[in-house]
Amino acid sequence: MAGAFDYAPAIVLLPFLSFLVSLAGGKYLPKGGAFGGIAATAGSLVLSAWVFLTVSAGNVYNETLYTWVAGGEATTLAFGLLLDPLAAMMLLIVCLVSLLVHVFSLGYMNDEGETGLPRYYAGLGLFTASMLGFVVADNLLMAFMFFELVGLCSYLLIGFWFREEGPPSAAKKAFLVTRFGDYFFLVGVVAIFATFGTAQFAGEGSFPVLAEEALNAGTTYFGFAPQTWFTIVGLLILGGVIGKSAQFPLHTWLPDAMEGPTPVSALIHAATMVAAGVYLVARMYGFYALSPTALGIIALVGGFTALVAATMGVVKREIKQVLAYSTISQYGYMMLGLGAGGYVAATFHLLTHAFFKALLFLGAGAVIIAMHHDEDMWNMGGLKNKMPVTYYTFLSGSLALAGIVPFAGFWSKDEVLYEALVHGLGGSPLLLAGYAMGLVAVFFTGFYTFRMVFLTFHGEPRSDVARDPHGVRWNVKGPLVVLGVLAATVGFVNMVPVQELTGIHLEYLHDWLAHGEISALTSEHYGELLHDYAHYTSADVASYVAGAMSLALALAGAGAAHVLYNVSDPDEHTEKLGAVKTLWYNNYYQDEYQVWLAESVVLPISRVADKFDQGVVDGVVNGVSSVSLFAGSRIRRVQTGVVTNYAVLLTLGLTALLVVFGLVGGWFA
Amino acid sequence: MVPVQWYLLLAAAVFCIGLFGILTRQNALLFLMSVELMLNAANINLVAFSAYWGNVTGQTFSLFTMALAAAEVAVGIGIILVLYRNFDDVDVTTAAEMRW
Repeated sequence: MAGAFDYAPAIVLLPFLSFLVSLAGGKYLPKGGAFGGIAATAGSLVLSAWVFLTVSAGNVYNETLYTWVAGGEATTLAFGLLLDPLAAMMLLIVCLVSLLVHVFSLGYMNDEGETGLPRYYAGLGLFTASMLGFVVADNLLMAFMFFELVGLCSYLLIGFWFREEGPPSAAKKAFLVTRFGDYFFLVGVVAIFATFGTAQFAGEGSFPVLAEEALNAGTTYFGFAPQTWFTIVGLLILGGVIGKSAQFPLHTWLPDAMEGPTPVSALIHAATMVAAGVYLVARMYGFYALSPTALGIIALVGGFTALVAATMGVVKREIKQVLAYSTISQYGYMMLGLGAGGYVAATFHLLTHAFFKALLFLGAGAVIIAMHHDEDMWNMGGLKNKMPVTYYTFLSGSLALAGIVPFAGFWSKDEVLYEALVHGLGGSPLLLAGYAMGLVAVFFTGFYTFRMVFLTFHGEPRSDVARDPHGVRWNVKGPLVVLGVLAATVGFVNMVPVQELTGIHLEYLHDWLAHGEISALTSEHYGELLHDYAHYTSADVASYVAGAMSLALALAGAGAAHVLYNVSDPDEHTEKLGAVKTLWYNNYYQDEYQVWLAESVVLPISRVADKFDQGVVDGVVNGVSSVSLFAGSRIRRVQTGVVTNYAVLLTLGLTALLVVFGLVGGWFA
Repeated sequence: MVPVQWYLLLAAAVFCIGLFGILTRQNALLFLMSVELMLNAANINLVAFSAYWGNVTGQTFSLFTMALAAAEVAVGIGIILVLYRNFDDVDVTTAAEMRW
């Protein structure tokens, strides 16, 4: 009987089909091809749910579907599917968010009379298809290919309004910055192939398994001890993760990416592009777990990014900018969780964040529709009564983002911080540093989140548009309500602190990820690896103590925002920060710093390289060719055109040949 | 019977006369005649060796060579006619267009 796994390729192919249909015939279809996209993602969602149910019955699918380079003795390159609990969960997230974004786009793009809709829906379809392909990839090379496709789609969609000035340059920036990281990823993929001869994620001969065996056997690679070498390779691949997941220092593309249509931002931030980086680390966690150095760096980068991005979010004026920095910050938490050995915690945060961030972006989109595409929060205010559905769903998402109990973000963020704390106290100062930064960021998160809420929805309207906002229809409200409910409730799948207090079994996500047919992909196995190879030990801290601490900080941040901004006519209190505000508002001058790096460091180096290339390399080539040219210009004079001369040369040649033959043959001896 | 060396000497002499003609003359018709001389020097060799070994294959070959020479002369005369039409002369040194 054909089971869910036989139809699994269709999960990826359906959105791809919608891409082709929109591209080829979108202008003949109603709504510019939107219904095709909705149908395709709905179909994918149904199939994903079926796969999810099949996986929850204990089945795991790991098959190669199509071999495109049969290696024989050498490396074999193939496409395949790996459907384990992690992939099944991610499929659901991506399909659901993508479906809701498609529906929301009806309100945001179609109802607003945008042109070029077939291109838009084609982009969404390809974006979804590439992310789904990335999620189900069973080897690193296939993952890399879809990773690149995701990057391409983000370029196409961020630059959707290509006639304006900002979007094309933002699109180029997003593409180039992520490509910079992907370059390291590519080198890492090659390193994996060179080291293990395979890039399979799971199975007998998969590279995490081989790496573990090599560690036990003490094999050396290229003159490095195995653990050193795995750290190097892991960090190379991490380059791609840092680019895609917008971690410091490659985070600069993400705030600029706000130039794209808001539903696209929701898709990028919640389910596709940015999630790809974190998902990749989770996917090959069995490899990272072998290297404590790589884990420490992941945790440190994550914690640092969480804090830095949160501070920048505090001072922004545009609603989407605040959300952009919150995304960077939240993905920092996920990286912190992964680095701290909290595989389940990070995955949990990926899950909850996908819903509440999609919700917040779509809510921001609704506000932007209402405000006639004005994004400045200082022109808003008082929208609470005008658009209650948007307000309450947005509030649900904000509570989740700030980490207020019992909304989704509290449970997951809390667990991430808890993992960092216990493993940090267990003897890792690096993790403890990450934890400290993450904890401080909790306060800022609470503050900027509620600053955003109060400025947008509370107080008196500060502009004419805010006094009489544009209404939104069911196709905007529907997705908001679905996500609003999810943002409030999805955290209940994993309530570890409550379990510790009451003893009721509530950690369903732990159970979900802990078991599986392929034991090398379970969180139990990862725990053993972390203990045996990364030497992670946990200190004994009650999770509700850590949870109470972060909750108190989040409430303090939200409270501060309440005092400062929940008044009828708020002032720009951030001005009082003076130089710090300027520093934060200009993003720590990261853009300027990177431009400086390009202009004052890279450009002179390129100039020297160009000189070397033009002078030395080309000089040698040109020198050789000039010798030929000169010789040719002299020797061609043999061709006089006079037949007699040719006859003379022929005769002389014959005579010379005869003489040579005679000498060699010994006729004159 | 005349020894074969005499024939070879005769052939070499005829060949050298032909070669001398090609190297020194400018008239295309003389060129053609000189080529014929060289060709016939080779024919003499063929016939001489054929008689020396008592095998008629060489003589048959020389018959073919004569037919070939006739065809070659036809082509050669054609070329000379074109030469004359284009340069109003049959001097091979004036037709030196195809050079560097």
